Formats: sequence, structure tokens, C-alpha cells
Amino acid sequence: MTDEELRLEASEWLARNWDARARKSKYDPDGGLKGWLKQTFDARWSVLRWPEEWYGRGLPDEQAKIVEQEFARVGATGTGLDRSHLAANTLLTFGQDALKRELLPKFLTGQYTNCLLYSEPGAGSDLAALRARADRDGDRWLINGQKVWTSGAATADYGLLIARTDWDAPKHKGISFFFIPMKQKGIEVRPLHQITGDSHFSEVFLDNAVVPAGNLLGKENDGWKVLQTALAYERLVMGEGAGERRQGSSIDNKISLIAMAREAGCIDDPCIRQDIARALAYRQLNALNLQRAKAEMAQGTSSPIMSLGKLAMSRILHEDARVMTTILGASSVLDGAEHPRAADVNYRAFNAYMTSIGGGTDQIQRNIIGERVLGLPREVELNRDLPFRESLAVPKS
Amino acid sequence: MSTINAEERQAIRDSFHRLLAETGREADVRRAMATDSGFDPVLWRAIADMGILGLLIPADFGGIGAGAEEIELVMEEAGAALLCGPLMSSGVLAASLLSYSSDEHAKARLLPAIGSGERIATVAITGDRGLWTPTDVSVTAVRDGDGWRLDGVASFVTAGTQADTLLVIAKAGSGLATFEVDRGAAGVAVTALKSFDRGQRFARIVFASASGAPIEGANEAAIEKMLDLARVALAGEQAGATRHVFDMTVEYIKTRVQFGRPIGGFQAIKHMAADLLIEVESATSAARHAARALAEGMPDTEVLVSLAAFVCADAFSQIAATSIQMHGGIGFTAEHPAHLYLRRARADAQLFGNSSLYRERYLSALEKAA
Ligand SMILES: Cc1cc2nc3c(=O)[nH]c(=O)nc-3n(C[C@H](O)[C@H](O)[C@H](O)COP(=O)(O)OP(=O)(O)OC[C@H]3O[C@@H](n4cnc5c(N)ncnc54)[C@H](O)[C@@H]3O)c2cc1C
Repeated sequence: MTDEELRLEASEWLARNWDARARKSKYDPDGGLKGWLKQTFDARWSVLRWPEEWYGRGLPDEQAKIVEQEFARVGATGTGLDRSHLAANTLLTFGQDALKRELLPKFLTGQYTNCLLYSEPGAGSDLAALRARADRDGDRWLINGQKVWTSGAATADYGLLIARTDWDAPKHKGISFFFIPMKQKGIEVRPLHQITGDSHFSEVFLDNAVVPAGNLLGKENDGWKVLQTALAYERLVMGEGAGERRQGSSIDNKISLIAMAREAGCIDDPCIRQDIARALAYRQLNALNLQRAKAEMAQGTSSPIMSLGKLAMSRILHEDARVMTTILGASSVLDGAEHPRAADVNYRAFNAYMTSIGGGTDQIQRNIIGERVLGLPREVELNRDLPFRESLAVPKS
Repeated sequence: MSTINAEERQAIRDSFHRLLAETGREADVRRAMATDSGFDPVLWRAIADMGILGLLIPADFGGIGAGAEEIELVMEEAGAALLCGPLMSSGVLAASLLSYSSDEHAKARLLPAIGSGERIATVAITGDRGLWTPTDVSVTAVRDGDGWRLDGVASFVTAGTQADTLLVIAKAGSGLATFEVDRGAAGVAVTALKSFDRGQRFARIVFASASGAPIEGANEAAIEKMLDLARVALAGEQAGATRHVFDMTVEYIKTRVQFGRPIGGFQAIKHMAADLLIEVESATSAARHAARALAEGMPDTEVLVSLAAFVCADAFSQIAATSIQMHGGIGFTAEHPAHLYLRRARADAQLFGNSSLYRERYLSALEKAA
């Protein structure tokens, strides 16, 4: 198919199915996102670069972009999941065929959501120190341990779980990666309150929770490798600035510092102008960097360049919040629905930590950039090559 | 000038510290923040009994007759403990403005009850822009027979919902003057403004032909003196809070282990802490030197007070913010105190004027001297 034929097919299909003004499907009676995702999935627009046998069209990157542009032109979502859907991409690369058949359509149509069961109380930045255990029991695995800061755990259908399967191997080499069904009696989810007022993340207690053997991703004890791919997708998404806005916020997602300063009557203040220029430049430069990195990155590989994006985005979000606070001035001490601007800025100032801590902290991103991108010597790490059982991370009784 | 010596000053601080360590702990602070009134009346009583509310009130009116250095030290403790309630409004703003006035009548009537904590007072200063500058005063007073009528808006009134008595700064004729108004009086409409730091309650107050009693001599010069003292008190609060969050953070990075060692062992974290220590110490130095300059009426008072105002605000904001980062995930939970400090820092950074304003004032004062 030529580029032009493809563009035509996409634009005609969108014209028939997408109501650009109302920003919803023309056919789905609820007008909800799920209905639209199902439509795009059935028409094979969701994961253009994926092979045809796995719901895609096997398109080269340049052609996939043509379709994505058509979608963007009319403000339609539902494509590009081959880059942004962390769970689906990880599953496609490392999952067993039966599991892929079962779960990929459900994830891609938004029927199932997922959460990331990585961090533990004793294993945050040092994820490889995790102590949740998976023990083989016939055709299933039994999971015991505790996870923490698990975003979306309360509603998720599946969890991407890392657990230890070999205690005699060094810390990175005895970990396996699973897709665990969340709605089962061995899993207890206790929501935690966040500084933003949300309760998106939770503690998760696993007590003989069951994972079918077919839900192992990659090879047993090779979970660290699977994790690197999953993390790369997560950081990619965070680097693009996903989820920076307060739910139900008055300001649209593309914040306009300029509009805010005009509204506050300080657009002529020379100091504020400098601040705004700097903040807007950070954002634009990140977009330019990501654009270049994406073009260079082969499909499905993890690129350390993406860690650059996440670190840059962290600075962008913190700096935006700072400049917005300056623009608002005294009003920034306020909060609540009657003060939507203040509530939004305060939310942003706090939510920025989701990007500077979640998915690997800024400090860890800097280490990764130093070590993997620049090839600088690795930090000396105690016990890295010791059998995990003997390391300091395991309390001795 | 205060006749209190360094030893007595330290004793006041120590007893306030002990009081807050007993009844102003984190759990108490959270409880106070969750109440409608926003403060704990029992603790308020205890603070009054200790003489803290009368620190700036002359002995003739039942106070201690202390000054800038004492209030600065006391506020360091208040900041460290995240004290909630109208100490700044009643004990600093209202107490000092009245003391600086020449209105013996008003002093006799109001100061003893302010010092004993029975009467809570605040000063309504700024308009809707929240700049705390003379041009930002948006209440006007005009003569009406024997009395005065007030019209206009005062906003970001600290403790505006907690105070019984409002000292309202208004434009009267060619200058500024101060009027005593009852919060519940006719023509006074108080709207609570929901605050991001639940330990501070602000109000927007609309005056529509409200009658006000003038406070003699609470004129522009007295108001400016009050604001200088408030800046020093706030700088003290910020410096104390800054040190507290910093110490808490250093304690954490010594104990939290990742990769087989305390995270403070990583240079990334160690260097962050070292850099922050400069800010912590600078904040303390700036606040204390400003207090001393003000107490002794030194020629560089304006320079030092302005310096303290922005240095302490910025240090507090920066350290409270970085503390969350250094704590990792636990710092993102509402149960952890780090965010309470960041909320306070964000509010304090606006009170009585923001950092840009004070950097400007600092430089202007240096230019004048140069
Ligand atoms: C909003 C939010 C959502 C999250 N969602 C999820 C989720 O869905 N699933 C999940 O598994 N986890 C999630 N997390 C957890 C997140 O991944 C961890 O918080 C993060 O990896 C840091 O781990 P930690 O909290 O244990 O902090 P620690 O690792 O204890 O870090 C504390 C401090 O030490 C620093 N530090 C640690 N090691 C080093 C080093 N080697 N060099 C320099 N500095 C170092 C850190 O940068 C940080 O400043 C979420 C976190 C947040 C804030």
C-alpha cells in the first residue's frame, strides 16, 4: 500500500466513524473511550507497527506515523498503542502465545487495566533487592510478599509482577516477571493517601496469591530483562508528560503560561517573562529531543535516551509549577473548587513528584544516563554478585 | 528596646520548645488542621500562659516588653513545630501595631486581653492582589459625623476567621490609618478562603459602610514598623521550619538503606544535603541578624530585613521541596509530614510580600547606601 492510499484509508475511516467536533465515536451510544478503542482495534488501527497475526498491520514506522497524523489531525485517540501501552507491549514481546491471545485484545480495547507490582518497602530504587517470592506449585506459581506505591492497584485486572524465583542466584538473576490476576482472594489492596489528595497508589499484600504457569513472561529467572523493557515504555510515556493535570481541572492539559500571565495581569513583568520563556523552552526542547530519539529508536528496543526524556520532563513539571506559582502570587495560598487556578497550581507542584520519584527517581535516571549512555564507571555496589540469600537485603534471623 | 538578656531569651525559647514538644506534636498539628477553627484552644491558652502572646506587649499593659530578637527565636520554634493558629496575627501583627500606636486608650482596652489570649486580633492589610504594599490597601475610610465609615476589601487576612477584633488599615485622607472593627459588626462580611496550608486560615473581608474606631498614631510609620517586625518573625518561622525539615531529612538519609548502604552514602544525596546546609545556615543567619538590626535600630536594618525576607522564604521552599525528593515514595504520602512543610512554605512565601518584591527592596536599600 502506498503512503497516499494509507492516508486516504485512514482519513475516510475517521470521517465515517469519528465525530471530530464532539470528540467521540459517531456510533458508540455512550460515546465513551472504551467503545472507541474497540472500534479502532477492530479496524486494526491501534497497534500499526505490530505484526498482522497480533492485531497490527506490520507497518514500518514512517507509515505508522502517517496514520497517527491523520488521527491527531481530527483529535482522535486510539492509535499509537504500540508505543504507549506498557503492558500490551511487554506482553507482545515476552508473553506466551495463549496469554497474548487472551489478554492483548482486552488491554488494547481498555476492557482490562493493569498495575505495576514492582516496588517494595525495602526495594525502591534498588528494585533488584525485592523479596516477594514466587514458588512453583504444579502448573501454577504461589506468590507471597508485599508491594507498595502500586498505582491503580485498587481497580486493576492484572498486575505486572516481579518476584524472586531463585534465592541462590545474585540479586538480578533470580527474578521472574509475571502477569498476575488481581481479583483473587490471595491479594489484599490497601489504598494510601497521596500528598495531592488522590489515593491512586496502594499497598498490596500477596498471601499465597496464584499465578497460572502460562502467565510467566520471558524465561524463569530472566525477569530483570523483561522489566527493562517494561520500564523503558513507562519512562517513555512519563517523558512525554502523561498525567500532569489534576482530574477535573479547569486548565486544559496544554497549560498556557502566557494565558495565565495575561489573566493575572503580569505578562509585562520582565522577570516573569524570563521565567516563562525558560519554562516554555524546556518543554519545546524536550519535544524536539524525543522526536529525534524516537526516529532513531528501533521498535521494541529500550533506549536509554528515553531516560533523558523522563529526567527532562521532571524538570519541566517542577519548573512549570514554580513559574505558575509566581504568576499567581498570593492567590497560590488558596485551594479548593472556588479557587480553581490555585488548586490546579498546587496540584501540579505536588504531582510533579510523580515524575521525579515514580518510575525511577531523578537521581537513578542520572545514574542510568551516566552509566548506560555515557559509559561512565558503574557505582560500586555491595553484594551485587553475591547469592541473594547471603546479601544484606535479606535479614538474618 | 527590650531589656531581656541572652540568657532569658534562651529560657523563653526553651520553655516554648518544651511546650510544643509535649502538646504541639505532629499528631496535634494534624488534629488542629482538621478542625473548623484551625487551631487548638488548649494549646493557645498554654502559649498565652507562658507569656508568648504578650512578648511584644509593654509591661504596662501586662506584657513582657520583649522585641524582635525574642519573637524571632520563638517563631523558629513555632516554625519547626508547624504551629497552627493566630500567633503571628494576634501576637505579632496586632500586638505590635497597637504598641507602636500612641492610643493609650486602645492599648489599655485591647492589649491585656490580646496578651492573655482571651481576645484574638488580626490586622487587615492588603487588597485582592496580596502584595502587602501601601498602594495595595483597598479599604477607604471617611469621616462620618463623630466617627468613621469604612468601605472596600481586605483580602488574605491572616487568622481572618479566627479573630474577634480586626485592625483595618485604610486609606484615610492622604495617608494610611488604622481602625478597630469588630468582626461581627454591621457592614463587615467575612468570607473564609480555603487555604492550601490548613494551619493558616485566610479571609476576604468586605466592608460596606462599616463603622470603625480610629487607633491614634497607628499611621504609616507604625504600620511599616509592624511589617518589619512581622517580616523578621516570619523569617524566624521559616528558618526554624527549614532547619527542622532538613534535620528530619538528614536523619532519614542516614537510615534508609538501598543498594546495601544508607542512601546518604550516595554522593548524589550527600551533595544535595551539603548544598542545602548552606541554605539552612544562611536562613538562620539572615533571620537572626535581621532581628538584631531591627531591635537595635541599626542603619542597615532595611537591607537585613529585606535579605531575611527572601532568603528565608526561598530556603524554606527549596528545602521542603527537596526533602520530598530525598524521601522517595514515602515523601509522596499524606501520612508523612514532608508535604505539610511544603504547604506551609508555599503559603509563607507569599505572606507580607513575595521574594521578588524583597529582592527589589534589598537592592534599592543597598543602592541608597552605596
Ligand atoms: C506517584 C507515584 C507512583 C508510583 N507508582 C508505582 C507503581 O505503580 N508501581 C511500583 O512498583 N512503584 C511505584 N512507585 C514507586 C517508585 O517507583 C519508587 O518510589 C521509586 O523507585 C523510589 O523508591 P523508594 O520510594 O523506595 O525511594 P528510595 O529508593 O528509598 O529513594 C530515596 C532517595 O534516595 C535516592 N537514591 C536511592 N538510591 C540512590 C542511588 N544509588 N544514587 C543516588 N540516589 C539514590 C532516591 O533518588 C531518593 O531521592 C510510585 C511512586 C510514586 C511517587
